[in-house]
Amino acid sequence: MGSYDPSFAKEVFENVDFGDEIKMCMQCGVCAASCPLSLQMDHSPRQIFTLIRAGKREEVLGSQAIMLCTSCYTCEVRCPRKIPVIDVMHGLANYALKHDFVPRKDTANFGGKFWDQIYRIGRIDEKDLSRRYFFAEGIIEGIKGLLGFSDIGLRLFLHKRIKPLPERKIKGIISLRKMLDKAEKMRGRGGASV
Amino acid sequence: MKYFLYWGCSLEGSGANYLVSLKPVLEALEIEFEEIEDWNCCGASLSYVGARDLAIKVLNARNLALAETQGSYDIVVPCSSCYIQMLKVSQEIQEDEGLKTQINECLAEGGRIYRGNLKVRHIMDVLYNDVGPDKIKATVVKPLNGLKIAGYVGCQSVRPYGEYDSVEKPKIQDRLLEALGAEPVPFPKKMRCCGSGLFMSEMDNCMRLVADILEDAISHGAKMISTVCPMCAMNLEVYQERINKAFGTEYDIPIVYLTQLMAVTFGMDLKKEAALDYNIIPPESILKTAVG
Amino acid sequence: MDKNTAVYICTGCSIGDALDIEQLKENGTEDFTISYCKDHPFLCGSEGLDLLNKDIEAEGINTIIIAACSQRVNYDVFNFGPDKIVERVNLREQVAWSQPPKEEDTQMLAEDNLRMGCSKAKDTELPEPFQAEEAYSKDILVVGGGVAGMTAALDTAKAGYQAVIVEKEDRLGGFLAKMKKNVTLPYKELSDTGVEELINSVEEDSRIKVFTSSTVEKVSGAPGLFSVDITSNGDAANERVGAVIQATGWVPYDANKLEHLGYGQFKDVITNVEMEEMAAAGKIVRPSDGKEVKNALFIQCAGSRDSDHLPYCSSVCCLVSLKQATYLKEQNPEALSYVLYKDVRTVGQAEDFYRKAQEDGNVFIRGSVSAVGESGGMLYVEADDELLGEKVKIEELDLVVLAVGMVPRSRPEEVPRVKAPEDEKDADEDGMIEVEQDSGFFANSALNLEYRQGPELPTLQYGFPDSHYICFPYETRRTGIYAAGCVRKPMEIARAKDDATGAAMKAIQCTEATAIGMAVHPRAGDMSYPEFNMQRCTQCKRCTEECPFGAINEDEKANPLPNPTRCRRCSICMGSCPERIISFKNYSVSMIGNMLKAIHVPEEDEEKPRVIALVCENDAYPALDMAGIKRMTWSPYIRFIPVRCLGSINLIWVADALSRGIDGLLLMGCRHGDDYQCHFMKGSELANTRLDKVSETLDRLALESDRVQFVEIGITDYDKIPGIIGEFMEKIEEVGPNPYKGW
Repeated sequence: MGSYDPSFAKEVFENVDFGDEIKMCMQCGVCAASCPLSLQMDHSPRQIFTLIRAGKREEVLGSQAIMLCTSCYTCEVRCPRKIPVIDVMHGLANYALKHDFVPRKDTANFGGKFWDQIYRIGRIDEKDLSRRYFFAEGIIEGIKGLLGFSDIGLRLFLHKRIKPLPERKIKGIISLRKMLDKAEKMRGRGGASV
Repeated sequence: MKYFLYWGCSLEGSGANYLVSLKPVLEALEIEFEEIEDWNCCGASLSYVGARDLAIKVLNARNLALAETQGSYDIVVPCSSCYIQMLKVSQEIQEDEGLKTQINECLAEGGRIYRGNLKVRHIMDVLYNDVGPDKIKATVVKPLNGLKIAGYVGCQSVRPYGEYDSVEKPKIQDRLLEALGAEPVPFPKKMRCCGSGLFMSEMDNCMRLVADILEDAISHGAKMISTVCPMCAMNLEVYQERINKAFGTEYDIPIVYLTQLMAVTFGMDLKKEAALDYNIIPPESILKTAVG
Repeated sequence: MDKNTAVYICTGCSIGDALDIEQLKENGTEDFTISYCKDHPFLCGSEGLDLLNKDIEAEGINTIIIAACSQRVNYDVFNFGPDKIVERVNLREQVAWSQPPKEEDTQMLAEDNLRMGCSKAKDTELPEPFQAEEAYSKDILVVGGGVAGMTAALDTAKAGYQAVIVEKEDRLGGFLAKMKKNVTLPYKELSDTGVEELINSVEEDSRIKVFTSSTVEKVSGAPGLFSVDITSNGDAANERVGAVIQATGWVPYDANKLEHLGYGQFKDVITNVEMEEMAAAGKIVRPSDGKEVKNALFIQCAGSRDSDHLPYCSSVCCLVSLKQATYLKEQNPEALSYVLYKDVRTVGQAEDFYRKAQEDGNVFIRGSVSAVGESGGMLYVEADDELLGEKVKIEELDLVVLAVGMVPRSRPEEVPRVKAPEDEKDADEDGMIEVEQDSGFFANSALNLEYRQGPELPTLQYGFPDSHYICFPYETRRTGIYAAGCVRKPMEIARAKDDATGAAMKAIQCTEATAIGMAVHPRAGDMSYPEFNMQRCTQCKRCTEECPFGAINEDEKANPLPNPTRCRRCSICMGSCPERIISFKNYSVSMIGNMLKAIHVPEEDEEKPRVIALVCENDAYPALDMAGIKRMTWSPYIRFIPVRCLGSINLIWVADALSRGIDGLLLMGCRHGDDYQCHFMKGSELANTRLDKVSETLDRLALESDRVQFVEIGITDYDKIPGIIGEFMEKIEEVGPNPYKGW
């Protein structure tokens, strides 16, 4: 028999970006019915919210669902309580990753490389991002990954949709990094969200 | 009419046909535009993996700050993801003094400040409301003569704010397709997500989404799908062969940017200006037949 | 009145295209004394009305037959003052719009309709309003001095009328005075109950007389003429009033019946009412040891929406629990409340307070309780959590609050028993039987009406006074007596206040209408009233028993004693009387009987059957009009006669019609039963019951019982009308022509 433990809900309200928004959920399930990937999720967004209330920390932070959000905003426009579901899901995923949960390995890897590149050069260079993504698991995996993707890559290249030049930093990259560092510092590992 | 044009990273890579066709179309419609100097990435939909919400907001605030020092035009964004990220931050700054202070504290680290004066708009908004379908129609020299096209709206070009079109039943893209002489086909999945930035790392889950959209458009008679988002265009077009392999289907439907169709109907060069050769599934013969 | 009758036929709205107007003028008015018959292409337009007004003036016309659109439209346009009789003949919705144009059958239908109209106009007399000999009172008696009663009295006073409050407790206030705080518009936060201000304003108002520690001993008389005996602190008093508002409130559902939820077993399991009283008294503590409450759990629907206890939702308990969770939070910011619910029903804008309770961090669990127990001095609750899909246990609880629902004070603990009639099968060994809920003998004592049909308001379900719940919420089955507040239905403070205002307005309206002899709802404005030809009365008691409004009392010899101001003019008494001694100036048994005779019945060999539909004019008739407006079509062989209520149908009409060769009768009326739609509550039900007796008549005439049928038609059932008529016509065809044709 399960029990109700309010401490995890408190942890989420106080530490996760937009975590306190879930207080307003009335469990209508419109988010679950609207989500394009809810069938692929182990828990629908609605269930995630109720699990938080019940105090199921492992189940929530380990849930694939919090990293399967495509950011399509369908749930958000339909939520009768105006909960920014996407921000909550992103907040939970960010929090989970920082606390050694890896809800979706590939997306965590890809998203990590994505942010790294922004931090490094200020922009996304798709070919460079894919290269780094595929080689994250080492050379062998990287070659396999690239070969598996080569049909797509080659076609894009042939149709002039891959930038031929090597990745290039924006001019203000140093000041951008300072800004981002400051932002992360203000938020900290788990300060209250705005 | 003059605007800032913030086209973002994708339009320099996989969405190049969008940018190539966009620029001459804007010129033909007498729209002046200026690039924001030294812009950075908007953060798109996956940055949360590496950063918390404030840092992602700061990314966009920097672009807004750069633009504000450069002029006071509306910022026009062709990429849906860039649009929603930038719009969201610009609105939140206007509504929330506390957040504005926090963001400016961060911008100050790089010697910047954003006062909150700029408006962020999607290219569709400008084409429909500032230029208008009448002017577009008047610019058309080779109408599409009733070619059936599915106007795929996707997600972030209207959701969640619905600034210029309905979040549940958008109609503007269809009105613009009509101005080009096409017949927009109604299809229920025109607002369904394609998988967006998640496609690359969650391909097994996302291919089904794209297959459903393609099926829906084709079964409603579309010969072609138009879009105004580089993510949509990429996901719908380049994975069709993989989807065919995975699901035993035979999809081969061209995915074009609305601006490419405009370039074609405006009588521009099919390659240099309409950038049709950038498309992996060639739309050329269908378009040529349609315009006669 | 010497009648000078004229017929005006409108040829607009396609009537002119559908009919041969000259032939209609001739055939439709034959056998009647008509000064003249005119037609006009746009009768309701200014030119048409000019024509009418000039003729009335110049020719001295006082009886005007308008053959045009339905009687349900333009009734204000075709109103030529109280001294003129206007009869409407429907040629538009039920002829031109629903029948093919220029057909012989369409023409015959129009001619029959016009003849019926002429016949009716001939038999109609101008009503003379009833005027009692005694003076009318316009004061309002309010029984119950809670929030609804006080508000009703204040609104009565504000409107310039006198009010009398009778409250059984020693001070005003009701449950409102027992509350700590209230949640009301705009439902954002707790507010003071405002009870002291309310009591003060009542007590300071010179137009309100307050009796506390008082009860109503007897109410006799009728609207405008009520005499009220009051016992006040042992003394007797009498007040004369025009109308009554019953606002006697509610009692909580008896938690002693909720042992399965731990009530009575654990001291720290209390009801929401006990919680409220504890909060109002000062501090919320654990009743067992007086210690601080940190964790509490509210069990919603405790006994409610449960067929073994209170089957309905009281609609306020959710809001009350959220309010009480807020008390706890205010008392101790660290306090945590769990709300175990079936559905959170915070009605209307109260949803905002639900949002606030969510923001406060209260935990909402959807599911049902499986056990309440105690362990180490603390309570626990086990529940099936529907949203988690598993059994859960919520432990370390200081307090469990049972959100019990509202029971109307009118509902008796046990169903009263009365002496059964001798042949009653269900009587117990002492010859007693339970009284019917919908009789005036069921409810708890409050009004003590001196009515032949019992001392209290009849109830329908759960002990709430019967009314037309959706359409006419404040009405009861006693004219001039209105129910307001929680005795009418469960409701929270803001709604009780609205309710009280509504009831006060209805009560005032009743006293004003009554004073000029006008009927109240639903025949508001009707000046007619039933007149009894007492010489022929056989004391059969049908009228006194069947009047849904208890309007007719009885003397010792069972003679009916009518109270015209209690009457709603439904004419159900007219339908009930076997001697046909009850009639109205403008509605009577012979009048409808003559209309039936005005219909031409073709010979059998013409193969044109004739069917008459007696149509309830409240719902079925507008449904027919609507079907016409939608240009639906049906058999041209059916003739519609509107009746005030199906309950007013006297069986003699059926016998008369069939003996004249009419092939069938269709009775179109409202749904009856627990979810009845009859405007007069019992009319369609009575008609249906009486119809059982029709088979005797048919047998006597050697006719098939299929020839008479009752159908229920709601106002929204217009689309079913062609089907219903079609089926009936088929049946009539199967049965064959009425053998009495041509006799």
